[in-house]
Amino acid sequence: MAQPTSLNINVRRRLGDTELDVQFQSDGGLTAFFGRSGSGKTSLVNLLAGLDTPDSGIIEVGGVCLYSSENAINIPPDKRRLGYVFQDSRLFPHMSVAGNLKYGMRFAAAHDQQQDFGEIVELLGLSALLARQPASLSGGEKQRVAIGRALLASPRLLLMDEPMASVDAGRKSEIVAFIENLRDQLDIPIVYVSHDLEEVIRLADTMVILDNGRTMASGDVETIMSRLDLRPLTGRYEAGAVIAAEVVRHDEEFSLTELTFAGNSLWVPRLDLAVGAALRVRIRARDVSLSRSRPEDTSILNIFEGKIVEITEDDGPQQEVLLDIGAPLIARITKKSLKQLSLQNGDTVYTMVKAAAIDRHSLGLGGTRQRRRMLGK
Amino acid sequence: MKLLSQRVRNLLILFAILLTLASGAASAASSIKVFGAASLNGALSEAARIFDARSGNHTVPVFASSSNLAKQIMNGAPADVFVSANLSWMDRLARENLIEPGSRVTFLGNSLSLVAPVTSKAKFTWGADALLSDLLQGGRLAMGDPDHVPVGMYGKAALEKLGRWEDIHRHLAPAPNARAAIAFIERGETPLGIVYASDLVGRGKLREVARFPETTHPPIIYPLALIKGRATLAVQAFVTFLQSEVGRAIFARYGFLPPGSD
Amino acid sequence: MFALSPLEIEAIQLSLRVAGFAVLACLPLGLLTAWVLARHEFFGKSVLNGIVHLPLVVPPVVIGYLLLVTFGRNGAIGRWLWETFEISIAFSWKGAAVAAGVMAFPLMVRAIRLSFEGVDKGLEDAARTLGAPGWWVFLTITLPLILPGVLTGVILAFARSLGEFGATITFVSNIPGETRTLPLALYSLTQVPDGESGAMRLVVIAVALALIALVASEALSRRIAKRMGG
Repeated sequence: MAQPTSLNINVRRRLGDTELDVQFQSDGGLTAFFGRSGSGKTSLVNLLAGLDTPDSGIIEVGGVCLYSSENAINIPPDKRRLGYVFQDSRLFPHMSVAGNLKYGMRFAAAHDQQQDFGEIVELLGLSALLARQPASLSGGEKQRVAIGRALLASPRLLLMDEPMASVDAGRKSEIVAFIENLRDQLDIPIVYVSHDLEEVIRLADTMVILDNGRTMASGDVETIMSRLDLRPLTGRYEAGAVIAAEVVRHDEEFSLTELTFAGNSLWVPRLDLAVGAALRVRIRARDVSLSRSRPEDTSILNIFEGKIVEITEDDGPQQEVLLDIGAPLIARITKKSLKQLSLQNGDTVYTMVKAAAIDRHSLGLGGTRQRRRMLGK
Repeated sequence: MKLLSQRVRNLLILFAILLTLASGAASAASSIKVFGAASLNGALSEAARIFDARSGNHTVPVFASSSNLAKQIMNGAPADVFVSANLSWMDRLARENLIEPGSRVTFLGNSLSLVAPVTSKAKFTWGADALLSDLLQGGRLAMGDPDHVPVGMYGKAALEKLGRWEDIHRHLAPAPNARAAIAFIERGETPLGIVYASDLVGRGKLREVARFPETTHPPIIYPLALIKGRATLAVQAFVTFLQSEVGRAIFARYGFLPPGSD
Repeated sequence: MFALSPLEIEAIQLSLRVAGFAVLACLPLGLLTAWVLARHEFFGKSVLNGIVHLPLVVPPVVIGYLLLVTFGRNGAIGRWLWETFEISIAFSWKGAAVAAGVMAFPLMVRAIRLSFEGVDKGLEDAARTLGAPGWWVFLTITLPLILPGVLTGVILAFARSLGEFGATITFVSNIPGETRTLPLALYSLTQVPDGESGAMRLVVIAVALALIALVASEALSRRIAKRMGG
């Protein structure tokens, strides 16, 4: 029996030269589709929304079949009860913000999941904007309204197509925080499409990598980011492991916070989080160093003992080393050091991560799913 | 010229050549332009054709309402001969000194006819007490606009003389020219109409209900004159031809009366 | 100062009535035609487009004659109208309105069609994803967005109808009080030897009416644009 938030997607669509061929399943949460421009992300969302029809396949949300080529089912977009947040917000210029927000509400009346207008306005901080016209809003404000509008239609699935694309950098983290909230507080599955790795790492429960219309990999963020073979798709500069951690305590004297993961301790600059809060930490490979022996008298707070799992064979002066310290970690070191230290798979080494290297861009709130996973471990 | 591409330049040169040739062709032959009232259409065209065949000239008749033609001539239109459907416009041109002195003649006459579509069974006599408007049965009477179209002005004068104007003048369909009025009647859109007797000739769709007596309207006279400064030999020859026996016979066939006859 | 004679008042009233009804009659058909041409592909589309634009390229007198043949008492449709409904538009201001409407129709369709094509389809898609069925999207999204174009079309059609002459005089003749609109009254005056001054007065009136219409439309357009553009 399918959960109300489950997704079952298996579609094929030929668009020009690209053949979109995506298979994917999840039982809810935020699924992020990550890929370069042209990898088919927007086309996929349009297929889910019903704005375009697949050549063949099946689309099921919460057990309800929205499209099936086999059974000749193709529910029109207005009957799918999905919410779609577009890249360009697409607010109706001739209505006020309030008018835009309420637009989908009249058609949601029949369904049980009625979103409360006041709650959503509160959640997205829109009360000051209600009487304004869309043309007078900033990019960030428009997107918040767009999100609110989609939610107030009581969707069974929320689609977000690169919602940060037209938002300036200063505003982005604010809205990403909103979406984190949404993910955790509302029980609606979200399909989030982006080419920005940072967003994806912060928000995704499940991550699917698309390349040229095909699904290359899918799984939880931590696992995907620890796979060295996927680096060409995720971006070599950005390479680094993602760790699911929990807040243990705060050190007020030195303004630090201690996190724990897989039995290890990670010290980071003071976070404004409650003890016990779950979060995701991204540790860039370039911020990780290795040593054969445990360093003494060093300024580095975070030293972990672990085994080398895999060493890459890239061109250029550097290589990446995948380590198992209880959780996967990736270090980037020079080929020269590799040779000098004679590092090989299976070797035990000590990894160092500077506390200062972990900034607020590296953190994402873990959400309920991560908690469940961590508890499961 | 540097701004224009080779192609555009060639096209412009070609255009200029064609224009020269065209204008050259026009002035090469001695073309005679006759401005004639609309009602003269068939007759004058045939006369022109026969004259050209005989004399080797090239005569170009132009037809419109007399008022329009007169105004065009007053504004410099290149007419050689003008045949008007009434006197006032010819008088006007004379006042403006646009007519070749001594060239004006009374060329044709015509009479007025009350007509109906050929399918109509309407009957009417001027002496009877019956109202003309009753004959309309809610429809209208088509005629040239009595304010300015010659056939309409004659018609109004006649109706007034016969005491029928008061009764009928609110049931008119005033047309911009004689042709338009005929169109209304032929199509059966108006049960009655007033046209020149000459308009009946060769029109199977019109039927005369009653002829207006000559005494009821000013004589319908078609004056003809040469335009000042255009009296070439060819033009003179054409005018002579029109008034010759052969010429007059053509117009008689089209239902026109010789001037001053009854 | 500039007191209007009864004849001039009659012509103005008639012109306003004729143009007003012409535009009202054009509007629903014009909307529909513009929508069909803007949003659909079908066999014979260019033929339809050609027919719609006919009054723009064919001499108005020809259109007037076609109307006479079709809608006159003995015309193909006119006869049916008379026999079935006892409706006759020949030689009446209604006929003048039809003539004006036909001549103005292509201008209205062009303006509205352009407007349809300018509507961001993405907005309509967004509305559908919010649960709105096609017809509701049309009413609440498309129509308000094409409003400026519809307004332009209406004003253009009104102005064209005010100035309509050739088709009118050929179809319904020049009947004072019934079909003698401003242009026809002007024409009559120019045909009479001493009608020049009267004609000039009518010219001034006609220009004034057209200017008022244009200024009003400009003001309305600006107000609408302001609402949309913030």
